Amino acid sequence: MDLKDKIEKHLLEVQKPSRYIGGEVGSVIKDKSKVDVRFAFCFPDTYDIGMSHLGMKILYSLTNERENYWCERCFAPSEDFEAVMRENGIPLYALESLDPIRDFDFIGFTMQYELSYSNVLNMLDLAGIPIFSRDRTEELTQIVVAGGPCVCNPEPLADFFDIFILGEGEEVNLELIDLYWEMKQQGAKRLDFLRRAAQIEGVYVPQFYSFDYKEDGTIAAVRTSENAPEVVRKRIIMDMDKVYYPANFVVPFTEIVHDRVSVEVLRGCIRGCRFCQAGFIYRPFREKHTDTICRETKSLCENTGYDEVSLASLSTSDHSEIDPMLTQLIEYTEKEHINLSLPSLRVDNFSEALLEKIKKVRKSGLTFAAEGGTQRLRDVINKNVSEEEIMNTCRIAFEGGYSAVKLYFMMGLPTETDEDIVGIAELAQRVVDLFYSIENRPKGKGGVQVSVSCATFVPKPFTPFQFEPQDTREMIEHKQKLLLDSVRSKKIKVAYHDPNVSQLEVILAKGDRRLCPVIYAAWKKGCKFDSWEEHYRFDLWLEAFADCGVDPAFYANRRFEYDEILPWDHLDYLVSKEFLIRENKTAHLSKTTPNCRQRCSGCGVNKKVGRDCFC
Amino acid sequence: MLRVRAVFEKTGRSKYISHLDLNRCMLRIFRRSGLPIWYTEGFNPHPYYSFALALSLGFESRCEIMDFNITDDAMSMEEIRDRLNAVMPEGMGIVSVALQQKKITAITHADYSFVLETEVPDKLKADIDRLLSGEEILIEKKTKKGVKTVDIKPDLQVLSCRTSDRGVEMSLRLPAGTQTNYNPTLFVEALKNAGAVPFEASGMTRTAILCEDGTDFV
Repeated sequence: MDLKDKIEKHLLEVQKPSRYIGGEVGSVIKDKSKVDVRFAFCFPDTYDIGMSHLGMKILYSLTNERENYWCERCFAPSEDFEAVMRENGIPLYALESLDPIRDFDFIGFTMQYELSYSNVLNMLDLAGIPIFSRDRTEELTQIVVAGGPCVCNPEPLADFFDIFILGEGEEVNLELIDLYWEMKQQGAKRLDFLRRAAQIEGVYVPQFYSFDYKEDGTIAAVRTSENAPEVVRKRIIMDMDKVYYPANFVVPFTEIVHDRVSVEVLRGCIRGCRFCQAGFIYRPFREKHTDTICRETKSLCENTGYDEVSLASLSTSDHSEIDPMLTQLIEYTEKEHINLSLPSLRVDNFSEALLEKIKKVRKSGLTFAAEGGTQRLRDVINKNVSEEEIMNTCRIAFEGGYSAVKLYFMMGLPTETDEDIVGIAELAQRVVDLFYSIENRPKGKGGVQVSVSCATFVPKPFTPFQFEPQDTREMIEHKQKLLLDSVRSKKIKVAYHDPNVSQLEVILAKGDRRLCPVIYAAWKKGCKFDSWEEHYRFDLWLEAFADCGVDPAFYANRRFEYDEILPWDHLDYLVSKEFLIRENKTAHLSKTTPNCRQRCSGCGVNKKVGRDCFC
Repeated sequence: MLRVRAVFEKTGRSKYISHLDLNRCMLRIFRRSGLPIWYTEGFNPHPYYSFALALSLGFESRCEIMDFNITDDAMSMEEIRDRLNAVMPEGMGIVSVALQQKKITAITHADYSFVLETEVPDKLKADIDRLLSGEEILIEKKTKKGVKTVDIKPDLQVLSCRTSDRGVEMSLRLPAGTQTNYNPTLFVEALKNAGAVPFEASGMTRTAILCEDGTDFV
């Protein structure tokens, strides 16, 4: 029985079977006899989540533009289908050809969040691919690679991957595949290929690097072998108007998390919020021209048939042409009955005119990321938003007919005190009071609703807070209780994260190679889908740490020293360590740093890129 | 305005599209086609189209019915068909397009075929015959008001039932439409509950949608 029949025999026994059989409009089918290199693009979570990921859509289409390369999609099966696969000997397969991915040339994972690490191991296992890089064949096939934001510190995953791709993939992915195909024709072995791949800028081959540790557990030295570069620099695309952007997306049958057209409007961020990894690792700031954005919106809407489009970026309202862009876009979307959604709007440049435009297209709740409860703390994290601005924006929103506001905060930020936590409740209360002080507020039963969502702060590599310890669980639990006790109005709803989850996140984010055996042990004990509340087993993770003799607190709750060699110091994300140290010191003085448009703060990116960020 | 009725097929991989997902899928098909489909009026205008009968997940069919309106009176049926077919997912396609004649309420029955796969076709056939020759075939049917026991025997017509090397191939005629809808899996369940030899149903296919007089509904 061929694999397709085997899959179909059991497909109706599982939830949402259309996730496992492909055939969607926009998926690319090729004649395998005419294909030279096959690439399985794997997302280490379910279809519903992975299909929403924009990077995959870009790189999928980009690779498939090349006639002799075939990129296919692969996702983690849900528990019910995984059981069916294991029971019936169905190996993990790609959705276009339904061929097992173990027979592919490249198996590429995108690492978007730390809590998906255990899924990588589970997927490799389901595929029948050796989990450890060292156990794979000497032949040139089955190259397991990873990219995405998490690989800015890939060390906890180092034993499982052959290659990490740092930075933006539009150019380097093809360079890597080209090299592979060239060497494959010459009959090269795996190791020959890895040696030459390591010479490509942006390619990090972890097996050519080794670590020495001091007695206190910190890193003594990083050594390289096989002529691999001592520092690997991430890749970036300079011209956002010339970079490849797909004219079509795969359109899923089943509803996915972000079920719409996404058009990227800019990369990088000018803001420099000190907790935000994306704000640093995606520098420099680069915009797409309004015409490019409109052209891409139109072709994607026409080709996919979606009736909703969303503008993707870290901070859409920082686009220098935001007003003309929205005017031009709304002209098109209104005529075509398309909904336009604008996530990532910032409080401080939220103008009345902008709100008018948004109201034209959508009327739902508004979300503001205030992040800190007091001005002092917002200064520490460089969230350059004042209370006046928050209130002003809420006033505009309420007068404009909105009655629900979501406020995002973090808990456990550096220098945070009980006063800052109480400040969250007070700020939310002032928003409630503001609502009732407005004459022409929306009248209706229920009145105002302020939702306070409180995440636990996770210090991340390549941010000024990379040196910071995370609050212990006891500290977070105290603060959560304090927050709940400080809220007096029924109009305020509070939601917060499980501190155990944030703790694993920080360990995996800031960890080193000594975590590889821990991740392996945790997976062996049954950990997977750690980002899903119903699957998360912190007890098993703790057992895995204990079994491997690794102390979680060493990574989670210890201050990393400025002069310490960090596990990611040999990777160059353009932002200099001196800058991050400087910013860390400024934070502890509760001083802000202006955004990149106001004044260059000397992060070092422009020097390395060889041009100013703003001309 | 043209009131159009399309007969479409849903086969191969597309049989895994649920009815809810088919709705969304069809919306995108219309949008990709660029056809001047009529939008509902009101606060939230959306393209109007409706399916005569829902097709169960996993069933194939070449006789599904969908109604919609085209605002351009001069458009030919061929153009509508071709423009839709150009943007259909794998396994789906428009078989024919014509102006609506009958009312949806004219639908009374539908035909289904399927295979009951077994190692012992003759024994299974005997089990089927025994079930069919009984006084009643009781099944549990889920309704909005809860589960109720129904005798489907009076409404069940066996069009054919013969053994093959794979098992027993059957085709049934069952009530369908706005009044009563019986899914052939009800019969399959009844057969299982009657203690038949082990078998697995496969190849569930709707083969016809019919009016009272037995003619095809189009």
